Amino acid sequence: MENLENLKKYIVTGKLPEATAIVNEAVAQGIGAQEIINDYLIKGMEEIGQRFEDGKAFVPNLLLSARAMKGCLEILKPLLKDSTAISLGTLVIGTVKGDLHDIGKNLVASMLEGCGFEVVNLGVDISAQQFVEAAKEHNAQIVCLSALLTTTMTYMKEVIDALQEAGLRDKVKVIIGGAPVTEEFAQSIGADGYSSNANGAVILAKNVLKAC
Amino acid sequence: MLEERLLSIDDLGYTCDDIYHSMGYKDTVPEDGILALIDEIHGAIRQCCRPRYVCQILDARQISKQEIEIGGEKFMPGGIICSYLEGMTEACLFVATAGEEYNGYLAELKSQGDIVRDYIADSIGSVIADSCAAAVGKELGKSSQLFHTLPYSPGYCGWNIAEQRRLFSFFPDAPCGVRLSESCLMTPEKSVSGFYGLGAELVPQPYRCEICNNKKCYKRKR
Repeated sequence: MENLENLKKYIVTGKLPEATAIVNEAVAQGIGAQEIINDYLIKGMEEIGQRFEDGKAFVPNLLLSARAMKGCLEILKPLLKDSTAISLGTLVIGTVKGDLHDIGKNLVASMLEGCGFEVVNLGVDISAQQFVEAAKEHNAQIVCLSALLTTTMTYMKEVIDALQEAGLRDKVKVIIGGAPVTEEFAQSIGADGYSSNANGAVILAKNVLKAC
Repeated sequence: MLEERLLSIDDLGYTCDDIYHSMGYKDTVPEDGILALIDEIHGAIRQCCRPRYVCQILDARQISKQEIEIGGEKFMPGGIICSYLEGMTEACLFVATAGEEYNGYLAELKSQGDIVRDYIADSIGSVIADSCAAAVGKELGKSSQLFHTLPYSPGYCGWNIAEQRRLFSFFPDAPCGVRLSESCLMTPEKSVSGFYGLGAELVPQPYRCEICNNKKCYKRKR
């Protein structure tokens, strides 16, 4: 069997076929799914995330790694006694009403999914009511809001207000992102956090859940 | 008079570096595996993409430090843009787009659920739309005796995006297939609208990002 250490390398370099092949081999050898996830896959994602933070990797590298991670998790999840055990939490994500931009939001969704969150991607032009309903339906712990324009980012406050009115605000954390959004803006509308990039969003999501 | 032009990718004159820059690579080149993906996707886009623009030149003047008039309609681009329009006597209004064909290709890619390919195609689409808007300026440079400004668009440099509707009123419905949403965003998404100021007395200007105070703009050249 190929050295299992290579699995981490394949995650870092985003090599999906090689990563899934080595995972299949490891499973056939009787290595536990949880061990593969914790000792190799998550460590690989942490390394590519750090490289991105250091300016040594770029968005496509992050996405390739997230895609490889997701492919491996699809093999391993059915093997876990409790498949929810590997989920870091459930998130609902969408671009707010009036805004049709989705590439940044999809990058964040892919990274979160690759790093072990259950992600419900609502799409673009999502109303406050749709966010509320999705958060209820999926029992989400985090709602992620995205906007690309200064004219649409103000709608994020309406979503937070709607979550409050629905009695969900104490149960869900709200994190926001998008080009015009800032930390100050996040604080001013009562969001729980802000990230300027996809890797930062993963770190932020983990941190806000720890704070629960 | 309206002028409509259908372009090829080769007409646009952008470079591979423009694509890499759009993908977040500033002073470096993507690694081989990603370069191969870019080549593959750019090749597919080259086959299907039909960028185009429509434009018309109208009388224009600056009314105040905040306001201009184009073709008898008042616009409020704000102080940043207006500070570079002194001497404007005409304006070229335009709508430029990567086109429906590109949009169809992107939709097909998205349905396959491969975020890496989506991201590359999206980045190339941005370069095509910007280059198509720049093609209007190149044409003005060849055909007009007047100097022209850089292109300015609603939604940037402090110009309210809602004025997009007024700008579109100068064109037939869905110019080049571009439609406005309720919130004044364009579909196909990879489209640019705006104007070039024209005048014999206009002075050369720095790039838009150097005059705009929106440091968080996603179009900002860092």
